[in-house]
Amino acid sequence: MANLPKFENSRFERWLAPCVIICFCSVAFWISTTFREMPPILKRGIQPADFPQLLLITIILLTLAMMVFDPIKLRENFNATTAGSLGLFAVFGALTWIDLFLALGIFAAALAALWGERRPRILILVGAVMPLVIFLLFDQIFEIRFPRGLLTNLWYG
Amino acid sequence: MEGLISGFLVLADPYLLALLVMATLGGVVIGALPGLNATTGAALLLPFTLTMDPVPAISIMTAIYCSATFAGAITAILINTPGTAASATTCLDGYPLAQRGEAGRALGMAVVSSTIGGVFSVICLMIAAPFLARAAYNFSPPEYFALTLFGLSMLASIGDGSAIKNLIAGGLGIFLALVGVDNLTTVERFTFGSYELYDGIGFVPVMIGVFGISELLIQAANLQIVREQVVMKAITLPSKADYKKSWRTIVRSSGIGTFIGILPAEGATVASMIGYNEAKRWSKNPEEFGHGAIEGIAGSEAANNAATGGAMVPTLALGIPGSATAAVILAGLMVHGVRPGPTMFTEQAEFAYAIFWSMLLVNILFFLVGLRGAKIFARVTLIPVQILWPTVFVFSIVGTYALDQSMFDVWVALTAGVIGFFMRRYGFSVVPLAIGLILGGMLEQRLGQSMVMLDEQWWLMFTRPLTLFFFILTALALFGPALFGTLKRRLSNSTGGTAE
Repeated sequence: MANLPKFENSRFERWLAPCVIICFCSVAFWISTTFREMPPILKRGIQPADFPQLLLITIILLTLAMMVFDPIKLRENFNATTAGSLGLFAVFGALTWIDLFLALGIFAAALAALWGERRPRILILVGAVMPLVIFLLFDQIFEIRFPRGLLTNLWYG
Repeated sequence: MEGLISGFLVLADPYLLALLVMATLGGVVIGALPGLNATTGAALLLPFTLTMDPVPAISIMTAIYCSATFAGAITAILINTPGTAASATTCLDGYPLAQRGEAGRALGMAVVSSTIGGVFSVICLMIAAPFLARAAYNFSPPEYFALTLFGLSMLASIGDGSAIKNLIAGGLGIFLALVGVDNLTTVERFTFGSYELYDGIGFVPVMIGVFGISELLIQAANLQIVREQVVMKAITLPSKADYKKSWRTIVRSSGIGTFIGILPAEGATVASMIGYNEAKRWSKNPEEFGHGAIEGIAGSEAANNAATGGAMVPTLALGIPGSATAAVILAGLMVHGVRPGPTMFTEQAEFAYAIFWSMLLVNILFFLVGLRGAKIFARVTLIPVQILWPTVFVFSIVGTYALDQSMFDVWVALTAGVIGFFMRRYGFSVVPLAIGLILGGMLEQRLGQSMVMLDEQWWLMFTRPLTLFFFILTALALFGPALFGTLKRRLSNSTGGTAE
């Protein structure tokens, strides 16, 4: 990914952000047209859809102005480590269904490894000791009950 | 006066004093770590304060704010990497001084000017905030609407994004604030039938996401940066000659920083830039700036620390955040059930003054910590990123979950983190998003109240002098930079390019 031609990548991403914003605002505007209209006695000054619609039109106009006067200029190409870190977010999200702290431990160790850490004791520190300490801190001192899962069930019984 | 004294007496609590000392030390560590700053620190700390009373909770958040803002100077001087954006201008003269073997002298000036700037701004806060609150006490909804709009318009000139991009980010933040049940009409908006969205999107998960998690992804692109620390023997207090050279700069920058801080949404970064530029402009030796001018450090550091107290003025008196960190503190106030605004100084005077006194104390504490411990704290920059950022992530996620014991908040924080990363990649600042999220609901509510009050004749808002005044300020904030830029260019053309 790091070797992608910079120009191609930049040209694509330059247009991507404004298009996403405009599409998002357009969809939100359409959704806002489905809001219930209040009778005059209950509307308290403005209808529920008025302010969101005014705001969304303003954002669309600002985005169009940005495309003309201040187009997006990318400072650097998408980095492989950044893409890998983003991928780890997805892995973390999937693993939380099994156990939150298992997901945190795997994420932390995998991130450290992705960022160049190779020493096993550091990976164990980051992936096992640190999440365990944080779990005990929140569980014992702040009395937070975490969602049940593969590992937390061992603690909660 | 009564509130002033009873607020001071609150500080006599040894538990609170111990917390303030720990928060000051923690703030110095956070500020010294490149990538972490006062805003991220305050956002990460917020979940830990949930079990505390409001006074210690908000006091330690302000302690993090003050001490982390100062501590950015440590890494700026010793490793040429500003610990916080507000210390970027400190690098310009601090690092050249350190390279000449005068790191101790540079840090000494940073500590002294930061303390003077900080103390000056807290004294201004103690005087100005109650007055401002009293003035705002009689505001009616149209005035409040116009004032909130003015606060939002100031977003145009903050952060590292351009004016248009800042306004778009602010607009998206306001949009997020509209998700949930409309307070005025009880109509569900953008909830998609999800009961978790019924109460809207929480401030704190979004802030932890955009300030903490997005920074992790930004750091992923900077792993190749090698930081070399300059050797420092001992920190020394400024000499008589240094004081003689810099005292005017310190006084000027303290004033500039406090004023910039008071402006809604402007923060320490803008203050330090203006403080530095003014120090250079008024200096007898402007050519020394950038090569190790001691006045450069004084100008930048006094201004950025003065902005902390200044930023708390609109935050506490009007409920409009004066900076990104103040926005997190404002979220903290709301989480703890404290309602900032004009009534705070009448109904919760003891609370408000306790916060002021604790800020004053923290400014003195970091003077001592800075003098004695800068050398030790500089070493935290050597913590490998492979340990630091996974730890920040685990704290972010666990802290977010702990807020409401809700996995939904965790998803919000993660999503906000990814969105924040892409926003920053495309040149948008995330600060306007956070401030927009806080002010969005207030803006709509006051517009609705104004419409009711004015019998739906919105144009009548322009007939009210104070409302009109705020609208004019809003227009100046939005179009002033472009207008003045055009005027300047025309003037430059008409005088043959000589006008500055």
